[in-house]
Amino acid sequence: MSIWGALAGGFVGTLVLTSALSAASEFGLTRMDLPFLLGTIVSSDRGRARVLGYAMHFAVGLLFALVYLAIFAAIDRSGWALGALFGLLHGLFAGTALVTVLLPAIHPRMGTPLSAAADQPLLEAPGFMMLNYGRRTPLATIVAHIAYGTIVGGFISFAS
Amino acid sequence: MRDAGYSPLRDYAAIGDGRTLALVSSKGSIDWLCLPDLDSPSVFGAILDAEKGGGFSLAPEPPFTVERAYLPETNALQTIFKTEVGVVRVTDAMLLPGSGLVPSRELARRVEGLSGSVPMRWRVEARFMYGSGRAELSRLGETPVARSGRDALAVSSWDAGIPVLDETSISAGFVACAGDDALIALSVAHEEPLVLPSRTEVESRLISTTAFWREWSAGRTFEGPWRDAVIRSALVLKLLIHSPSGAIAAAGTTSLPEEIGGDRNWDYRFCWVRDSALTLHALMQLGCPREGESFFWWLLHASQLTHPRLGVLYRLNGSDHAPESILPLSGYRGSGPVRIGNAAVDQEQLDIYGDLIRTAWLYVVAGGDLDSDTGRRLAEIADLICEIWRRPDCGIWEVRSQPLHFTHSKIMCWVALDGAVRLADRDLIPHAHATRWRREAEAIRAFVDERCWSEEAGCYVRSAGSSELDSSLLLGALMDYPSERDPHLSATITALRRELGSGPLLDRYSGEDGLAGTEGAFLCCSFWLADALARAGRVDEAGVLMEQLIGLANDVGLYAEEVDHQSGEFLGNMPQGLVHLALINAAVSVSKAQRR
Repeated sequence: MSIWGALAGGFVGTLVLTSALSAASEFGLTRMDLPFLLGTIVSSDRGRARVLGYAMHFAVGLLFALVYLAIFAAIDRSGWALGALFGLLHGLFAGTALVTVLLPAIHPRMGTPLSAAADQPLLEAPGFMMLNYGRRTPLATIVAHIAYGTIVGGFISFAS
Repeated sequence: MRDAGYSPLRDYAAIGDGRTLALVSSKGSIDWLCLPDLDSPSVFGAILDAEKGGGFSLAPEPPFTVERAYLPETNALQTIFKTEVGVVRVTDAMLLPGSGLVPSRELARRVEGLSGSVPMRWRVEARFMYGSGRAELSRLGETPVARSGRDALAVSSWDAGIPVLDETSISAGFVACAGDDALIALSVAHEEPLVLPSRTEVESRLISTTAFWREWSAGRTFEGPWRDAVIRSALVLKLLIHSPSGAIAAAGTTSLPEEIGGDRNWDYRFCWVRDSALTLHALMQLGCPREGESFFWWLLHASQLTHPRLGVLYRLNGSDHAPESILPLSGYRGSGPVRIGNAAVDQEQLDIYGDLIRTAWLYVVAGGDLDSDTGRRLAEIADLICEIWRRPDCGIWEVRSQPLHFTHSKIMCWVALDGAVRLADRDLIPHAHATRWRREAEAIRAFVDERCWSEEAGCYVRSAGSSELDSSLLLGALMDYPSERDPHLSATITALRRELGSGPLLDRYSGEDGLAGTEGAFLCCSFWLADALARAGRVDEAGVLMEQLIGLANDVGLYAEEVDHQSGEFLGNMPQGLVHLALINAAVSVSKAQRR
C-alpha cells in the first residue's frame, strides 16, 4: 500500500465518479452536480463555480483516497472488493450527513430548513439522500461512489 | 353544504415566515397552518374540516366586533376586539429566527388590554398530518406539549391563564384588563428536540420580526397610485417565497373550492413554471433583485432533471414528484374532495416554454448573467419548441378535456422563440439555430393569424377553429406578441370584456374544460385586463378598472383566486400569488401609462 497508489486511485476514481454523475444528469436521472455545489461555496458566478468546483472535487477525491489508505493500513487489508464496500459506506455518508447536513451548514449560498424570510439562498438544499435533486439520485450517487471505492481499493492494492 | 364552523374566506388574513403560512380569521381563530413548511401536512386545518382539522382560537368570551389591519408595511396582524366590557388588541405573527438557539418555527399571539376587563379564552387543537395524526398531550415542565411522530408543538403562555389539557386540546381563560399584556407562543420542532423560549426572547423576536418586514417594505421601489395595495401584494409574495429554496408557491392553501359544494378543489402549494415570467417581472419592478435571482436559480436547477422538457409544476424543494391524492376531510363548507398533490404535473403544456425563456430574458434585461451551460440549455429548449409547437396541449388552464391547439399556448411558443432569438443576438446563448427559430416563430404567427382568428367574432379565439373566448389571450399583450391583425390585441380585449366580463370581473374562458360544475370570476384575468388596456393606450379605462379591482380585496388587502359573481364572496385558494403578481404588474403598467 502506498500513498502514490492512493493518489492515483483517488484521481481516476474521482474522474469516474464525476463523469458517472454527469452522465446520470444528462440522462435525466438526477440534478446532482457535485462540482457545481462545491464551486458555488466560493463563487456565485455559475461558470466560474463549475471550474472551481471541479478542482475542489478532485482535491476532496484525493483526500478521501488517503482516508481509504489509512483505514486499509489500520486493518492491514485492502483490495477492490473492500474498496467497493467503503465506496458504499462513503456514498451513504455523502447522501446523509455530508451533503444533507454539513454542506448546507457551511455553504453560504445554500438554503437550509431554517432559512426564513430574511434569507435569500441561491441553491436549494439537497434534502435526505439528496432526494430533492430527483428520486433516482440516491441510486446514481451510491453507484458512482461504489465505482470510486472499487477503483481506489484496486489502485491501492495494485500498488502494494 | 354546511356553514357551521366555517368563516367566509374573505375573513382570513395571512401571516408567515418565509417557510410556512397561517390563516387567521376575523374571529381570532388560526384555521390553517402546515408544519414545518407550506407544503407539509397541516396541524391546523379547520378551514378544510371544522371538526377534524384542528385550530387555535383566541377571542373574547362576550360578543364582539372586530377591526383589524396589518401593522403598517408588515406581515404582523393586529385585531382589535371590541366588547361591551372592554377592548382588547391581539397581535399575530410568525416569528423570524434571530441569532442563538431558537425554535425552528414559532408563532406568537400577543394580547393587550386596551380598556375595561375582557374575559378571553384560547384553545389549541393540534391535529397533525391533516387531522389523521393523533396528538399526545403532556407537559414539559409546566409547558403543554402536543406530540405526534416526528413533530412536536409546545404552547408557552405568560399571563394568559393556566393551561388545561384534556384529551384533544390545550386551553385556558384569563381576563385582559386595561394595561395587561399577555403572550402565547407556539414553538415547533420537526425531527429535532423542542426549544422552549423565554418570554423576553419571544417579545424580542416579535419586535425584530416587525422591524424586518418594515425594512423590507421600505426597500420596495414602486411609487404611484395604489401603492398600499402594491406593497401589500409584495408582502404576500414574500410570504409565498419558500426561503429554503427560492421557489414561489402559487397559493398558501389546498382545496379551497372554486365553487361552494363543487369539486374544483386543487392543491396550489407548488411552484408553477407558467407563473415564472410574471413573477420575475413583478420582483424586478418592485426592486427585489435578490429574490428574483434566487427564483431564477431555483427555476434553472429544478427544471434540469427533465431538460429539455419542462415540468408543469415543481415542489417547493425542487422535486417533480407531486402525485395527487384525496384526504378524508369534509372540505371547506362540505366542498370535497380535499386534494393534496396535483395531477397537472403530468400534463403537457406548451406555454411554459415561453414563460421560461421570457423569464431568462427578463433576468438578463435586469442585469443578470447567463453562463454558457445555461445558454446551451435555453438553446436546446428553443430547438425543442420548434419540434413540438404544432402539437395540441392542455393549455395554461390545465383543462382535463381533450388537448387542443390553444391560441395562448401557440402565442407563448412564439414568445419563447422570439426570446431565444433576442438572447442569441446578444451572444448569450448559442446562435447556430437562430435562423430556424426565426422561421418557426413566423410559422407560429401565421398559424395564430390564420387558424386562431375569428372573422365572425372579430377577435382571437380560445383555440384553433373554435368560437370560444379565453382571457389568457390578454397575456399576448403583456408578453409583447406582435399581432398583425390586431396590433394591440385591442379588438380581442373588447370582445373578452363583452363576452366574459361582468363589471370589473372576468371569467377565464367559455366552453368545455372536462370538469363538472362552475367557478367564480378569475381575479388575475381582471388585472391582466387592466394591464392590457394600459398597454393598448386605453389608460382611463384601465385606471377605472384598477380602482374597482383594488376595492375587491378583503379588509386587509388580500385576494383569493376567484370572486363569486353574485355574492362577491372569495372562492379558491388564498392568498393567491398569481392575483397579487397581476396586481403589481398592472399597477406598474397603468401608472407608467398615466405618466406618459
